[in-house]
Amino acid sequence: MNPFLHLNGVDKSHGATRALSGVDLAVGPDELLVILGPTGAGKTTLLRVMAGLDSADAGTVLMDGTDVTDWEPAARDVAFVFQHFALYPAWSVRRNLEFPLRAPGRMLGQREIADRVQWAAELLHIQTLLERPSERLSGGEMQRVAIGRCIVRRPRLFLLDEPLTNLDAKLRETLRVELALLRRTLAIPMVYVTHDQAEALSMADRIAVLSDGKILQVGTPEEVYNRPESPQVARQLGQPAMNVFSVCARSGHWHVGNKGVLAESTAEEGISASLGVRPEHIEPRGGGEDAAVRVVEDAGPTWVLRVDWLGQEVRLIAGKEESYRPGQRIQPRVDAGRVIVWDCEEGV
Amino acid sequence: MRGDWDRGWLRYGFIAPALVLLVAMNIFPLLYSIVLSFTNADLVGSNSSWVGVLNYKFVFKFAKYGQALRTTALFVFLAVACELLLGFGLAYALRDRFALKPLVLTVLLVPMMLPQAVMGLFWKLILNGNYGALNQFLGLLGFSQPQWITDPDLKFLSVLMVDVWMWTPFMMLISLAALQAIPPHIYEAAAIDRASPWRTFRRITLPMCAPLLGLAVLLRATDALKQFDLIMALTGPNDRVTQTLSALLYQTVFRDGKVGLGTAYSYVILVLVIALASVFLRYMGRLQRESDS
Repeated sequence: MNPFLHLNGVDKSHGATRALSGVDLAVGPDELLVILGPTGAGKTTLLRVMAGLDSADAGTVLMDGTDVTDWEPAARDVAFVFQHFALYPAWSVRRNLEFPLRAPGRMLGQREIADRVQWAAELLHIQTLLERPSERLSGGEMQRVAIGRCIVRRPRLFLLDEPLTNLDAKLRETLRVELALLRRTLAIPMVYVTHDQAEALSMADRIAVLSDGKILQVGTPEEVYNRPESPQVARQLGQPAMNVFSVCARSGHWHVGNKGVLAESTAEEGISASLGVRPEHIEPRGGGEDAAVRVVEDAGPTWVLRVDWLGQEVRLIAGKEESYRPGQRIQPRVDAGRVIVWDCEEGV
Repeated sequence: MRGDWDRGWLRYGFIAPALVLLVAMNIFPLLYSIVLSFTNADLVGSNSSWVGVLNYKFVFKFAKYGQALRTTALFVFLAVACELLLGFGLAYALRDRFALKPLVLTVLLVPMMLPQAVMGLFWKLILNGNYGALNQFLGLLGFSQPQWITDPDLKFLSVLMVDVWMWTPFMMLISLAALQAIPPHIYEAAAIDRASPWRTFRRITLPMCAPLLGLAVLLRATDALKQFDLIMALTGPNDRVTQTLSALLYQTVFRDGKVGLGTAYSYVILVLVIALASVFLRYMGRLQRESDS
């Protein structure tokens, strides 16, 4: 695959804080890449470097093989959807949509402009809002218009900065699906920034996990979810988050310190490691160690239990056929075939 | 019920002090001055008699009044226009953060913080044709030394200049607030949308500042309309070239002692001000509606 967008060793600092360090990233010509990371990980900075709103301190940005590192945002021909909508206030939806088309050098006729606005409005289901002033729109409508303003001019690259974060849950889900459909129609490469792992997993062709300005892992949602390369990646995906234990292999079992046995192990005797177990891979019954239920959350089709087990809080998912109450004692059993092992070290 | 009755009187009891003050200080003088405007009352002496609309007839016949009206209009228009342009220009130049910004802003705001009457006296010294600081300075540089506040061709300009000096900071302050209220991501969106700097300024900056600037113009215009302190200090209330309506009013009532005629003047001014304000408010309302649709 010949990448459309290519970042090589991008560094960026805001004063004394290092926002990005040594970021390498490639986005395919017809790909939706989601950048996932917690608040402050440098996601927005990364996107702004791609757009040219921020310039990189070091490294290069290539678009379609051309070095655009020093180009202005306007020259890069990218579209940017901001978290805070960024509509031009006091203007009608139509004027907002027309604005990028009336930019100098675009030389579009009135007819072409009207056609494109109509096309975008239909695609985003905002035909009926065209004459309405932009302040009198709901959050969801505003974000649709903002997206519309980006697609009317058919940019080469689409950058979205947490576009759904300020919307309510139901709308978020609707727009998520619409965005996914939209990108199939447009066939423009997209980079989508979010802190919401559900959004990342459901929309992405590939996910890049960002933490403290560094890319931790890039892969398909399936790869990143099932084979996280580090505990940090594992903690960012999955709801509830993955359980991580410090373990040591002794006589065919993973021991958590001297607190007890977690699961069977085929590892060499004496090896110590970090061990990740997804909540859905722990059964509430059938294990050998006691645990105390602390909190029972109703997650709809299942229960989410937070239990004190082996000296730490462990999250697990239990079926609804049985009910649980805080204080109850259970014996969790880990599906030993599904655990993930990192950072193996020879024991002493 | 008794409780309600009590509470009713209690309510009036609380309002009463404010109400008494309002009536004594505002409403009574207002009504009494209407009566005065139909008499030939003097500042001293108590014998005055009813003269009917004679004072009002006199107002419109009196050439001084028309002259003062023109002077005032010209003064308000020029002062507010200069202050708006200069103030907004300064604010636009200073809108970004830089190292000495707080200091620069403080220095620029000083003129506004000082009492007008005092500043008027200071400027009278500075602008004095013979020993004023400005002319000393011009003399050092080898320029001619005009009679700033006595030359009939210059004194209006001098008063205007001092007013602009005093009140440009106010316009700058409001403009700065308006400029800084524009969210930066709007500009970023515009940059990505390939808007040229001029287009961004014309289509985004100006319209988004307009409501606040309109308010500032209204405030400044009503203030400039009442301008008295500077004129009093610089050229005096009875100067033909710089006599504004307030100066004329002062001259009539307090120097000439013609209270009846003076109050008649003030009512004509009041009607004018109300008319002007309502025109302006209507314009603002239209601007608001236009920007809404």
